[in-house]
Amino acid sequence: MRRSKRFAFPILVCFLVMVLLVTACSTNGGSSDQAGEGITTVTMWHGLTSIDLDNMNKVVKAFEEKNPTIKMNLVYTESNEGSDQKLLTAVAGGNPPDVALFDRFKVGTWAAQGSLTDLSSMAAESGIRKEMYYPFAWEESSYQGKLYAMPMDTDSRLLFYNKDHFKEVGLDPNKPPQTIAELEAAADKLTIKEGKRFKRIGFIPWYSQGWLYTWGWAFGGEFQDTATGKITANDPKVVEALQWMTDFGKKYNVEDIAGFTSAAGTEEMDPFISGQVSMKISGNFTVKGIEKFKPDLNYGVAPIPTPTGTNFTTWSGGGSAIIPKGAKNVAAAWKFLEFLGKEEGQTLLNADSQISVIDSVNDKYGYKDDPIMKEFINILPNSHNRPVIPEGQLLWNELASATEKATRGNGTPKENLDRVTETVNKALEKYDK
Amino acid sequence: MVKLADPVQVKAIPSASKRALHRTNAIGWLFASPWAIGLLCFYAIPMLMSIYFSFTTYSILQPGEFIGMNNYKELFHDPLFWKSIYNTIYFTVFFVPLSIFFGVALAMMLNMKVKGMAVFRTIFFLPTLVPQVALAVLWMWLLHPNFGLVNGMLANIGIDGPAWLGGESWSKPSLILMSLWGIGQAVVIYLAGLGDIPEEYYEAAQIDGANWFQKTRKVTLPLLTPVIFYNLVMGMIGAFQQFTLPYTLTKGQGTPANSMTFYVMYLYENGFRYFKMGYASAMAWILFIIVMALTGIIFITSKRWVHYQGK
Repeated sequence: MRRSKRFAFPILVCFLVMVLLVTACSTNGGSSDQAGEGITTVTMWHGLTSIDLDNMNKVVKAFEEKNPTIKMNLVYTESNEGSDQKLLTAVAGGNPPDVALFDRFKVGTWAAQGSLTDLSSMAAESGIRKEMYYPFAWEESSYQGKLYAMPMDTDSRLLFYNKDHFKEVGLDPNKPPQTIAELEAAADKLTIKEGKRFKRIGFIPWYSQGWLYTWGWAFGGEFQDTATGKITANDPKVVEALQWMTDFGKKYNVEDIAGFTSAAGTEEMDPFISGQVSMKISGNFTVKGIEKFKPDLNYGVAPIPTPTGTNFTTWSGGGSAIIPKGAKNVAAAWKFLEFLGKEEGQTLLNADSQISVIDSVNDKYGYKDDPIMKEFINILPNSHNRPVIPEGQLLWNELASATEKATRGNGTPKENLDRVTETVNKALEKYDK
Repeated sequence: MVKLADPVQVKAIPSASKRALHRTNAIGWLFASPWAIGLLCFYAIPMLMSIYFSFTTYSILQPGEFIGMNNYKELFHDPLFWKSIYNTIYFTVFFVPLSIFFGVALAMMLNMKVKGMAVFRTIFFLPTLVPQVALAVLWMWLLHPNFGLVNGMLANIGIDGPAWLGGESWSKPSLILMSLWGIGQAVVIYLAGLGDIPEEYYEAAQIDGANWFQKTRKVTLPLLTPVIFYNLVMGMIGAFQQFTLPYTLTKGQGTPANSMTFYVMYLYENGFRYFKMGYASAMAWILFIIVMALTGIIFITSKRWVHYQGK
């Protein structure tokens, strides 16, 4: 028994220290809510840097002038995977920020987990309406008919082509390919292969933003049945798209192409910028990179070719702002989201940097006078958003893996896409209960 | 082995000094308590909780329900689980022996009495100071199939270099190559081990007319086995937890064709991107059991090949 007594004291000490620690932590958590009399501090987590941060600071300044009782406290949380985990643990621990900037792609997943505040009724009261935004932006911010996020900015994907290369091989630099057949013919002309090595490659369907989403929609396929909510990755049109990608890869030998598409993909090493790829699918977000690394690159952008040369389309993602479940100052946080989502906030937020989710704001920026940017804006009314489902990330990864397997000859496109459909729909079953 | 104090002796101490001993013990505990509490709060409790979570559909954001062995059953039918095990074992089987071979060889070279040895030692240790993420980016450039330095050099001697990280067949060997860059840490430990070998043994061997090769085989290597044993166990545990390099190289995608999806990467993906923390917990425990079992096996076989100087 003497033994147990010997341990009693240290254990007691440990226990006391632990109690101290726990209480210290919990009082700390609540202290940031109120600052001074009648002023509410809204904490916002973000991963913004450089111009985007400058713009956000302008939004905050304008907002605080209009709402003297609210003070914004911007906290930088790194913009990669780490920020996700931080937010995740903060929400799980019941001590989240009032506002967090959030990839719209994740809205479905987080909303299904019950971790986002439903903004529908507040939006209705404030006059935030679906019609104000591009359809896909609203769609992607909503889950099962309820609004969970305020869309902030967006992007779109187009065919980039090197005009000098076009001239060099006798193609008209002002007539980019419109149909898939024209694209193939152009790619064929532009490619220069010496033995196993490409000196230049005309086009690689899956390079950069050439995801299966890109081609599936270009071929007229749908990834989700809107009536049932079921995933339809094996839609015949999507299969057709993947089949085309696979055939394309076979023609040029996938392993030989790997050099261009290997893991290394930083902007400075972009083979389109260095002139080793003549055409690629990419988004407006790479335009700035070209300006920076090769401002004299003579290139154009055009809608992504389709089998018929009509019904051009693209898809868009982008950022949003959310109020996590358990946030302490929901009303004040909403005030800020409202400001951010309306025209004034949007104008300040995306100036000289991003594409706004409000069409008229993009008019103001003069994007429609810019030969490159106007194409990205013009396609937006026909843009898609990825299915808003609790398993969005799983679907994304499965589609990427199916594309890779099929193009490398590991199973047919149909087999691979059947498996994607089955896997994702099975994973979705547990949310139907 | 250090002989521990006989516990009977404690009883023999008179009661006044016994109280003093208790007091010093208590103070000791007090000083150790931040560590002890940290261990308890951030290791022991989460570990025990993850056992429970591995039987549930816990998603971090929601508590989840108890589903018995379902997570484990599902894992055995998950092709990517098996693929990630295969990749991880492949990496371990090649990386660990290679790292021991090159580590020992390097340490022996760096142990020679040559002028300016400190400089060489520093050079070989430097790469371990580079953060893994920076190392990954650096190697991405070096191994780039078209503009990379490695293929450029191979081309000079007429060899058509592979796609390295771009192809399934070369992606894992490339990773092993990169990882070997960081063996400086182990080399330092081997160097310490080499320094521990008494000079007399070599002198005795010299008198017996042993050449360099015989001295290495009969003196150096056997006496280095405790250090090799340590590095083997640590290297194996580390290899099974491979994460940062492949994650950075493939942006978390495990490309090409999942040939770079390592066990812990897939675990992370399940836990933090698919919100399947229960599933991820089950994976963590399977990994724990595998690593424990392998460590156990190494420990058992070590009796045959590890020589301690005292014995």
